[in-house]
Amino acid sequence: MVRNENMSSNDPIERFAQAVADELGADAVALSDDVLTRYGEHTLPSADVRPGAVVYPDSTLAVQTIVKLANQFRVQLYPISNGQNIGLGTKSPILPGQVVVDLGRRMKKIIEIDETMGYCVLEPGVSFQTMHDELIRRGSKLMISPTAGPSQGSILANALDKGGGSGAYADHFGMSCGMEIVLGNGDIIRTGDGSLQGSEHPNWHVSKYSFGPFLDGLFSQSNFGIVTRMGMWLMQRPPHIEPFFFTFPEDDDLGEVIDLIRPLKQTNFVPTMIRATNDLYLLASVATHPDYALGGGKVTLGDAERRKLRESFGLGAWTVSGALYGGSKAAVAPQLERVVRHFTASGKGRQISLEDAEDLKPLHIAINSNTGVPTDSELRMLNWRPGGGAIWLSAGTPVLGSTANGFQHEARKICTAHGLEYLLSNVCGARFARSVHAIIYNRSDADESARADACYRAMSELFASRGVFVGRAPTMYQDFHQAQRMPEFVNACSAIKHALDPNGVIAPGKYGIH
Amino acid sequence: MSNTITVHRLDQAKAATDQCVHFGFCTAVCPTYVLDAEENDSPRGRIAIAKDMLESGAPPSAAAVKHLDRCLSCLSCETTCAAGVKYRDIIDTAKEYIENSGVRPVQERLFRALLSRLLTTPSYLSFMMRAGRPLSRLGRRLPGSLGALASISNAPALRAFEPRTGLSAATHVVPTRRMALLSGCVQSVTGSEINASAQRVLERAGITVIPTQGSTCCGALDLHMGRRQRAIEHAAKTVKTWATQLECGEIEAIVVTTSGCASVIKHYDELLDLQPDLAPLVKRVMDATRDITEVLQELPMVGGDAVRGAVVSYHDACSMKHGLKLTRTPRNVLERLAFDVRDIAESHICCGSAGTYNILQPAIAERLGKRKAGHAESCRPDVIVAGNLGCLVQMSRFTNVPVAHTVQLVDWATGGPAPRGLENFIPKAPEESIAVAESLQPATISTEDSLW
Repeated sequence: MVRNENMSSNDPIERFAQAVADELGADAVALSDDVLTRYGEHTLPSADVRPGAVVYPDSTLAVQTIVKLANQFRVQLYPISNGQNIGLGTKSPILPGQVVVDLGRRMKKIIEIDETMGYCVLEPGVSFQTMHDELIRRGSKLMISPTAGPSQGSILANALDKGGGSGAYADHFGMSCGMEIVLGNGDIIRTGDGSLQGSEHPNWHVSKYSFGPFLDGLFSQSNFGIVTRMGMWLMQRPPHIEPFFFTFPEDDDLGEVIDLIRPLKQTNFVPTMIRATNDLYLLASVATHPDYALGGGKVTLGDAERRKLRESFGLGAWTVSGALYGGSKAAVAPQLERVVRHFTASGKGRQISLEDAEDLKPLHIAINSNTGVPTDSELRMLNWRPGGGAIWLSAGTPVLGSTANGFQHEARKICTAHGLEYLLSNVCGARFARSVHAIIYNRSDADESARADACYRAMSELFASRGVFVGRAPTMYQDFHQAQRMPEFVNACSAIKHALDPNGVIAPGKYGIH
Repeated sequence: MSNTITVHRLDQAKAATDQCVHFGFCTAVCPTYVLDAEENDSPRGRIAIAKDMLESGAPPSAAAVKHLDRCLSCLSCETTCAAGVKYRDIIDTAKEYIENSGVRPVQERLFRALLSRLLTTPSYLSFMMRAGRPLSRLGRRLPGSLGALASISNAPALRAFEPRTGLSAATHVVPTRRMALLSGCVQSVTGSEINASAQRVLERAGITVIPTQGSTCCGALDLHMGRRQRAIEHAAKTVKTWATQLECGEIEAIVVTTSGCASVIKHYDELLDLQPDLAPLVKRVMDATRDITEVLQELPMVGGDAVRGAVVSYHDACSMKHGLKLTRTPRNVLERLAFDVRDIAESHICCGSAGTYNILQPAIAERLGKRKAGHAESCRPDVIVAGNLGCLVQMSRFTNVPVAHTVQLVDWATGGPAPRGLENFIPKAPEESIAVAESLQPATISTEDSLW
């Protein structure tokens, strides 16, 4: 354990850290300046949030020890898995001085892969890339549902944070089944059929809703406990996956696009999620803001320049992506033909063949993710503007063209008013589309950071005023969003918090729960 | 001390360090960080170290040398970086800075100088291989770099790549094209069967193979060791020779079978930027340089019956994947010839070969080599294949599965000899192929137990 010279020996964190070192070994805790500085970094428009220490448990029992010591020393913890949630807070805690519990460093075992039943059981540190690699290594018939985000992100944490992926198993929390959790009071519980006394639990990771209340939901986007293992369902890889693409020329075509997607999802004609992504969200992964220096970062890219940029890649204002499954390319061909007729009927949509898509770098992300291959290439959008600032705003819309297009109009105006670009990808299911807004800005520029912050708040207020709430939220805005809720709901969250974590040691403030 | 590196390049490297905004995506794809989770052995940590070192102008600290030396220069981080940091500029300059600083102990400097001379001079290497092989079994017990050198010189791949006699392309095709084939400084001695396979394949397709004249060394190994001046000397020599051959129409392309070389040749404009008089020649050479698989994919090759269904664990050499950005092309070439090509886990992670890395950092290299070989074996392959000699030698040290270069398989499929270790392969009966996602399908699949 490297001591921090700036702390007195009476500091509770110092004493807590010493106790952790005594119980779990010196390698299980870090207090050095360079480590704390690194864990405090993030991409949001506020100062870094430096933790008080970082601890590295290697098992559920080690997590329990840490939680018990936190209760003893009244130290606040902030659990992370792989800490890859860029644009949402990265590894940094909610409040300065909280102790980061880095579960990803040493708890990265794939506990089980059940090839027959189609599920795996994972520790928090297992990433999409690791799981994908392991399935390849085994020659498995199963596939993962990767995100378009960091391939090193934790599968477990992504599911707990209600992250989404690609393919038919895109609802990651929905595909989770059976957890092991260390509660804030130090108890270890197993959810679902895992709660049965004894050591045999054949239904733990195959049955979600057996006897009694469904507790799993309490541990998504919350701070009631630390999840140390989780079952995740995996899909059998179809013999043939046929990604498809269509592009529509104008911003206002979004309404038609969304209305065309809805029946394809409600009938399950297309088994994967269907994405409708705007020009800059796609192109930012392969280009940087062409006029950034010229406008000093204060002016949003003009419509004419935006059109020129997208046309140089042969893309329109909105590009639709998804995939079909079948026994062979020939077997899928009639379905594809039907989808082509569907999207091109009005004359606005144009198909981009798979062969052409393979030559278009911005579309590789969808090809990869729909075929179950993790990819990092979408994250190159973070370089659209210099300075490394990124905020993700995940609002949503019913899958209704007029509603989605209305939001587009108003949100685009807000971005422009703040001198920032409007980057949006709608991830569409049968009824709801998560609308992922990326606010990319220069974090080293105070004025631009302030505009990014104001832009996030203004867009959030716009959505709230129309009755639309956010999904995932960046750490610095979680109190802000919780305050948008009915107070009775907030009180209910607090009551649960006090029941399961009476001393409030697990991430007080996370998702606005205190 | 630092004035041995031009101000322009120092500024370039410093500017590259300033681009890093600490997203940290690089850490998880960095082989050394993956092994030990040590921040200073991650790209982000090394960038911070290099930045301090280059800005201070002072001799590098022992810690800086240790962590920067541990970098494999695989460039997996550069592929992943969302901020577009030019890590190649940073690490090349940092390694050169250390090399020029004189801070290494005398015996280490001497060893590195000897290693550079030995590996880039085929006559010396050939002599040492013959003289040293009987002693190499004993030498493997030596600690550190000498033991690693002995172990590598006894690697199974080197025996597999020994030259054969009496084989020709056995073709009646009238040659219509002429290309140079880079024999390579190390490969011409230790991988001559790879070069012979390439020659047979090209001649079968009507391409006359012209040996590369002048230097056989492209400069990659010296550049890897921070010995930039020697790399520049090699590069300038090769550029002048090849450009002349291209200019007079003697050759239309320079074909390279070692991606470690090709990835450096493709950056000759940066290496030779202080010799503006060479710029037109450099461009000509860079434009004409092609990995063998880029040439093969355009050829109307037929074959495949003798190799049908041979299971290939395909390893993406870092220089191929991150340097040349060639991942589909070699797979396409092999699949066209009826090989069953399988990707291996952690394809973005280096095997530990990395130029002279497995000699200079043997402990880390061994861990990476075992890890990579284990992943390759798990596909239950008939052969492990890559497009870079160094990777094949490295992996062969940790597996009993035969290893071969991509072009050897193409040679085999189109009428050449089976790579050593595959002589008894029995081709599988043709079966109705199952179409899969054409582009990036990661694993062979079966319809067994499914409803498709």
